[in-house]
Amino acid sequence: MTAPVQADSQLAQSTLLMKVRGMTMSYGSGTAENKILENLDLDVNTGEFISIVGPSGVGKTTLLRCLSGLLHPKAGTIEVGGAIIDGPHPDLAVVFQDYSRSLMPWMTTRENVAFPLQGKGMNKADRIRVAEENLAAVGLAGQGGKYPWEMSGGMQQRVAIARALAYNAKVLLMDEPFASVDAQTRFDLEDLVIKLKQEFGVTILLVTHDIDEALYLADKVVVIAEKPATVVDVIVTGFGEERDQVDTKADPRFGEARARILHRLRKN
Amino acid sequence: MTSATLTAAQPRAARKVRRAGGPNTGTRILQSTWLVFVVLAAWWVFSARSTNFFIPSLEQILTVLVRDLGNGVIMAGALYSLANLFVGLLVAAALGIGFGLLLGEVGWLCRIVDPIIHFFRSVPQAALVPMIIGVFGLGQGPKMGTIAFACLWPILLNTIDGVLGVEPTIRKFSKVYRIPRGLHFRKVVLPAALPQIVAGVRVALPIGITVMVVSEMFASTEGLGFYILNSSATFQVPETWAGALLVGVVGYIISMLFILAERRMLRWYYASGSQ
Ligand SMILES: Nc1ncnc2c1ncn2[C@@H]1O[C@H](COP(=O)(O)OP(=O)(O)O)[C@@H](O)[C@H]1O
Ligand SMILES: [Mg+2]
Repeated sequence: MTAPVQADSQLAQSTLLMKVRGMTMSYGSGTAENKILENLDLDVNTGEFISIVGPSGVGKTTLLRCLSGLLHPKAGTIEVGGAIIDGPHPDLAVVFQDYSRSLMPWMTTRENVAFPLQGKGMNKADRIRVAEENLAAVGLAGQGGKYPWEMSGGMQQRVAIARALAYNAKVLLMDEPFASVDAQTRFDLEDLVIKLKQEFGVTILLVTHDIDEALYLADKVVVIAEKPATVVDVIVTGFGEERDQVDTKADPRFGEARARILHRLRKN
Repeated sequence: MTSATLTAAQPRAARKVRRAGGPNTGTRILQSTWLVFVVLAAWWVFSARSTNFFIPSLEQILTVLVRDLGNGVIMAGALYSLANLFVGLLVAAALGIGFGLLLGEVGWLCRIVDPIIHFFRSVPQAALVPMIIGVFGLGQGPKMGTIAFACLWPILLNTIDGVLGVEPTIRKFSKVYRIPRGLHFRKVVLPAALPQIVAGVRVALPIGITVMVVSEMFASTEGLGFYILNSSATFQVPETWAGALLVGVVGYIISMLFILAERRMLRWYYASGSQ
């Protein structure tokens, strides 16, 4: 690992929320074993926005599945708030890559958002209230009665984000959340996520193959590459809280960091 | 359980709900039923001059039908038969959906019972009637039981198939968001499998009606099956035809009612145009 481009005093002070050590993961076994992740370390501080960037097929989805408890890593540990976790955890919420398929078509958007809260044992009135609040937070106030299939892709993704927010987890894990929407919607959703992070103080771990997106969103960009994949670089962006689709991307540090990541990824 | 996939009935293809501004209701009903009237008219005309004792004229058949409907002979029989059908289907649906959800979720259990399910599914259900009635006796209970047994298999198979077809991303969602097991079954798996389940019940309906009639042909003194068998044994040919016609009409009406209920229950499915 290389030193950060710019030290960020604010980040240095924040507390460690999630700690991944030596994570190794493979599919299959014996001669057919396909190693995907090797000895991967990751630190996530409270309130931090981390982008994990890497080429397609490197193992980003696999990594998020391990973190969210859907897969058991072959080796390594995951700690949240100091405790080792093994399996799905109430402090972790996931926004899936194919979001439209993760919403249930037999429920309205309000019901979709409220449903995990029912699983937590919250009463109906509170569930509905929380669902409406979170729908409003993602810009879908008053749209709770609609079904997901009555909505555009961008709106469905907002519903999926509202569902993750309502679950009230400490960390949001997002798997290429904006990969299948048009460019303008993508910018809107990126800015929405930045706003939500500031408003709710939620910690976000976002995976993407898009270097610009990774840099624009994150406080810290973790570059993974090689096969099996491991962390090859960590860049602290240092753009501060305020981001702008034009100005931030025109920042010389943005271009510098992009070149550094591109260079690192093309080495393979 | 790929074998279940091969044999399960498919839910009807979803399509967009009809938009306003199409042909009006009267025109639409006429469009979908005119052939029935043509067939009836042809039947009436061609059977009118029949001299074959076993092919009475439609006029005769309808006269007998109206008479026996009026004097309550058929009504009592129909109520008895429909009660059997209703209870039998209900039991089959409860067992089929319950076990289907369980078997669909628990892979190893499903693999164990798979051959048994396919064996019973392949036996012609009407052939079981004399055996079941022979063993359990002549009352109404064994008849209901026979109908339930016959209807169970398509519902069970389709439920399993529906459960296996639940969108993997939704399963992942349910797991990551730690949806408790009971809630997961009721609100995730059951609704997701419902289109398949309903298709299974739709397949079970005519099987149930067949077994209903056949079960009343064995030493029974009640029901539509008995009416048909009894009239045929005493050479009251128009009554036999009237009974068969009535069973057909009743079956058709039940199917129509079922489709109406289905459209309502699966509104999201048809409206979303999914799958
Ligand atoms: N369920 C699976 N079984 C076997 N191999 C898999 C599975 N899922 C992914 N892979 C393989 O693991 C590698 C990484 O996949 P993935 O984590 O989806 O990459 P990314 O999300 O970075 O595009 C790919 O080569 C893929 O073929
Ligand atoms: Mg992926």
